[in-house]
Amino acid sequence: MAQQQGIIVLVDIANALQARTLTGNVYLFDNMAFLGSTGQGTADLVTICPGTYWADGSQATEQVLNWLPASLGSIPPTVPRSYHADRAQATDQEALEEIAGVADRAGDPSVDTAAELEGLRRRVGARARRPRGGRAPAIGKVLDVTGNVVTGEGQAYNHPNPVITDITGQAVDEKVMYPAQYGSPDMVSDGWYWAASVDTARPGTYRYTMHIQLHELVWRNDEPAWEPVDLTCESAIKVISDPKRNAFTGAGLGMLPMP
Amino acid sequence: MKPHVNIVVLVDAVGALSDGTLHNGNLSLVDDGAFESRGQGTVDLCTIVVPGQVVQWTAIAVDVQTTAEISAITFLPPGGAAPERAPAWEGQSGGHENLDLKVWEGIVPAHLTRGVPYHYRLEVQMHEGSHSVLHLDSPALMCA
Repeated sequence: MAQQQGIIVLVDIANALQARTLTGNVYLFDNMAFLGSTGQGTADLVTICPGTYWADGSQATEQVLNWLPASLGSIPPTVPRSYHADRAQATDQEALEEIAGVADRAGDPSVDTAAELEGLRRRVGARARRPRGGRAPAIGKVLDVTGNVVTGEGQAYNHPNPVITDITGQAVDEKVMYPAQYGSPDMVSDGWYWAASVDTARPGTYRYTMHIQLHELVWRNDEPAWEPVDLTCESAIKVISDPKRNAFTGAGLGMLPMP
Repeated sequence: MKPHVNIVVLVDAVGALSDGTLHNGNLSLVDDGAFESRGQGTVDLCTIVVPGQVVQWTAIAVDVQTTAEISAITFLPPGGAAPERAPAWEGQSGGHENLDLKVWEGIVPAHLTRGVPYHYRLEVQMHEGSHSVLHLDSPALMCA
């Protein structure tokens, strides 16, 4: 089937970070259940890769897999890509306007200017640093899931989407699938995604390992920073291969069944 | 004379399933026959063939992430009504039918009347389920 298969890797990031494991915190889906993929919605997904061969034994189909990471309880991936920057800019703008108000009231002895400025400082939000050399997300201010800025430690915040950093394991070692990272204008995958072509000439079930990086907000000296946490989870592909056959005769080439 | 004539069935599966029809530009038929086939790029393609030629139909989905496969090609009686049977998805209990295994290919027989279009019902299955099969009765083969 000349079709690309999508595999959604849905991660419960908060729980995965707490437990420091993806086991029990990842849910996998693909779009080939009707051809025999099993374990949809669980961590035990086995993705079917239907292969076909011609009467002379040569390979007739190649499959392409695409992995798309997603996270539970995050800002939906369908919001505009500039969403984080827009929200950060909007809060800065509001703060500037309020500073003007504070300045106007500065002459009034009953106004506690210092307290007002402190309140403003908190409302501007926290800007998390990115770790050096990491694949941390290029986002500025820390937002909660409703898009409001996070101002202090201990507040609920929105985790960046999980990032697949590598795909390894038996299926790759045995050269049944050839994964690589590609650039894409697709906003859902934020510009990068992993895909693999599968050699459907070798039927069997092959396991593979996804290396997934999550990001945890760590506060040090009142400053937040995104710290990468590398975890892995396993899945499998099941390659099958069947012979192509003539649809009119059920066997070899014959006359068209015309009246 | 080319020994092979290819007919490509180009399907916009998302459009067809949304509309519930293969019309409205959701399907396009094109062939590479050596003669002047009529209706290239439409659902009314009349492919001009000669006896002995091999005709092959191939379905291609416009969107590579969707499935679109030919589930049946049935020749209609000349001048007669289309068969009563409405195309239906034959859900497999337990097993899964891989339509990609089917090669829609056959030899043009010698008994055809020249200049008469032989219409065929083309059934296309997109993914699976009771609304997944749609059909057309308009395309035809005609002997030169």
